[in-house]
Amino acid sequence: MLGYTIKRLIQMVVVLWAVSVIVFLMMSFTGDPVFMVVPIDATDAEIAQARRILGLDRSLPEQYFIFVQNMLQGDFGRSYVFREPALDLILERLPATLEIVLVAMAMSAIVAIPLGVYAGANPGRFSSRTIMSGSLLGISLPSFWVGMMLIFLFAVKWRIFPSSGRGDTVEILGTRWSIFTADGWTHVILPSLTLSLATMAIILRITRAGMMEVMRQDYMKFARAKGVSRRNVLYRHGLRNALIPVVTIFGLQLGDLIAFATITETIFAWPGLGKLLIDSIYRADRPVIVVYLMLVALIFVVINFLVDIVYTLIDPRITVK
Amino acid sequence: MTTITTALRALTASACLAALSAGAAWAEKSLTIGLTADATHMDPQAGEELSSNIMFYHIYDPLVRRTPELTFEPGLAESWELVDDTTWRFKLREGVKFHDGDTLKASDVVFTLDRLKDSLMLNLAANIESYSAIDDLTVEIKTPAPYAALPNDLAAILILSEDHVAKVGDDGLEQNPMGTGPYKLVDWVREDKVELEAFDDYYMGEAEIESVTFRPITNPATRTAALLTGEVDIVQDLAVRDVDRVKREEGFEVITRPSLLNLVLALDMRAESPTIEGENPMTDRRVREAMARAIDVNAIQRAVMGGLSTPSDQYVPQSHVGHVDGMNFREMYPYDVEKAKALMAEAGVDGFTVTLDATNNRYVNDAQIAQALAGMLARIGVDVKLNVMPKSNFWGYIRVPTPNSSFIMSGWDVPSGDAGSMYGALFYSRDKREGYGQVNRGSYSNPEVDALIDKADSTAKVEERDQYLQEATKILMADIPMIPVHYEQDIYGAREGVEFAPRTDKFLWAYTMDVAE
Repeated sequence: MLGYTIKRLIQMVVVLWAVSVIVFLMMSFTGDPVFMVVPIDATDAEIAQARRILGLDRSLPEQYFIFVQNMLQGDFGRSYVFREPALDLILERLPATLEIVLVAMAMSAIVAIPLGVYAGANPGRFSSRTIMSGSLLGISLPSFWVGMMLIFLFAVKWRIFPSSGRGDTVEILGTRWSIFTADGWTHVILPSLTLSLATMAIILRITRAGMMEVMRQDYMKFARAKGVSRRNVLYRHGLRNALIPVVTIFGLQLGDLIAFATITETIFAWPGLGKLLIDSIYRADRPVIVVYLMLVALIFVVINFLVDIVYTLIDPRITVK
Repeated sequence: MTTITTALRALTASACLAALSAGAAWAEKSLTIGLTADATHMDPQAGEELSSNIMFYHIYDPLVRRTPELTFEPGLAESWELVDDTTWRFKLREGVKFHDGDTLKASDVVFTLDRLKDSLMLNLAANIESYSAIDDLTVEIKTPAPYAALPNDLAAILILSEDHVAKVGDDGLEQNPMGTGPYKLVDWVREDKVELEAFDDYYMGEAEIESVTFRPITNPATRTAALLTGEVDIVQDLAVRDVDRVKREEGFEVITRPSLLNLVLALDMRAESPTIEGENPMTDRRVREAMARAIDVNAIQRAVMGGLSTPSDQYVPQSHVGHVDGMNFREMYPYDVEKAKALMAEAGVDGFTVTLDATNNRYVNDAQIAQALAGMLARIGVDVKLNVMPKSNFWGYIRVPTPNSSFIMSGWDVPSGDAGSMYGALFYSRDKREGYGQVNRGSYSNPEVDALIDKADSTAKVEERDQYLQEATKILMADIPMIPVHYEQDIYGAREGVEFAPRTDKFLWAYTMDVAE
């Protein structure tokens, strides 16, 4: 276990290093950040001053070297636009994204797994087919359309939920959370629902496929024959054996939503990470993009690590090495 | 009525009640405004864009105030006078309070200018050579040469408190902005909201609206939705496609006004141009006139802009110093393809290929306008290749000395109310005088125009400056170094009962707004 963790850590460092190099190189093609900062009619002297202030007067390798050097001392660079530490900007927005993503993942799991088990256990039924067709919709509808429709129906037409924003927040441990206030919850539901639909559909389909596979196994029949209730057969014997791929996809989707909830966040004016990323790309704000993508890489590595651990809990035959 | 709708109604009612009780105090007037983007700064010397500017003018004040119609009136300075051609004396109002209770002093103005000279925004002080505090309420400012537009420039410089900056530190101003303005910052949650509260001791009297909340809502459709659900009272940049929808809705209105942003096409005047093979035909005035005549701005207004644009008559709007009354580019060179073809033939040009550089995320429908232009110019034999890119690449790409560009579409706005800065930057010969011609993308060079701009920038009298700049306008309109296309329209949506008139410079200012009880 320890060896495995260390190996994973080394992998992580390599991934982070690669991400930083790639982003640094790519950003040199996406426009010069100086022109995003200075006025259009700036003179050469003004541009030179801006370059100096932003640290862009050095060569690219030099800039990268300084970036790595500072990072090893815990300084991840400052945003060209906000003139604030890039890491602070990101951490400030992380809770907002986390809360809609976690609610979305919970919604997906609660809805998709029972439906998937049902559809897998009773593949021929009309209700199962309806569920499966519904899941196709969930996969194929683009999130910007779903988001706009939800706003149109629930906010503009029926006035049940507000259209956008975070609503009331409470401060816990220095960060603001909407999910701990009633008003905040009304704001969380629509964006979370939008985010959850695709994941819900994918998990549903994978659960069903796994269940159909498992249903054919002899141990299912034996369990039923020895008198285990249908419910227990399905969930304790069946689902447990079908769960490995579900957990894998769940982990990937979780990382994906945290990193790239951009569209949903923009539609609901949700002050999360995705909106910061897209704004930073538009403004060629390299320090923010580098740190952001490194954080995303880190999140994926950690989630995959956790997923591996969960495997061993679900299936004792699996060991990590 | 079905049970479901009844249940929904009940839910709606309780949601409304909840919203009301959350909104709390009835007595205090409050207003929520939906902006297109969050402010990036609260420190007025750290950078500027529209959202930040809106916040700046709530929290801080300039010495000279720019009115909604772009005229200028006393701000923190109650009066000013010229001591000699290059020396101005500004008398500050007595007893102006900062939000922390301190009184404004001349030393704060000096401190502000000192800090400005070391900041990213130093271009604001380009025409200020030196300055000093004569006494507690008098500031003397010297310009490098006689310069009539100094008060206009000062309208963009917001006065900071020296003590406060010393207390919170240079970087601290972003989180703890404080000035003499009509509103104090209560809370700023990035990308979520900016909450302001009226400042009781404001020197022009306390604002009518006690609390103002700005919410950044980037997605245009969501902005409309937030207006219709009553979550916000005013929205900025209502989407063109939502205009009819909001007009139809009971209790809402749409307010439009021409903006200051003039979309212009810069034509390269160099003998050899980067994207044109052989000799550059655009050096011939007749070819430039032909191109101007081939462009149907009314068609662009109708088909691309949904009627929401105003064809430009000159390079600057009518309100500006340097605008010539009665002169109209559209009447001088009306849309006329036959005449344009004749001009091309007269110039001996049988058509040519040129690349148009344009943005796709900076101006309203910019990429579609570029496509329309290409179609129109094709009719007179000008084959326009489009090179459309996002703004983050654009500004560096087209930067003078424009090594890549022959034909550029970009916008230009002059909030200072004076054509001088635009003419100096866009039309003054390149590399002739420091700080002039730095954005002369077409390498236009006319000694007469240069001389007129020089004269305008060396008189301290506004009337003389106006005369010189008008002369320059006449020459430019005849020379056609650039083709002006149109002004965008600013479109706002508002709940009825909100009293507000948009400003020419787009700076929403809650101090002049009111809401019905």
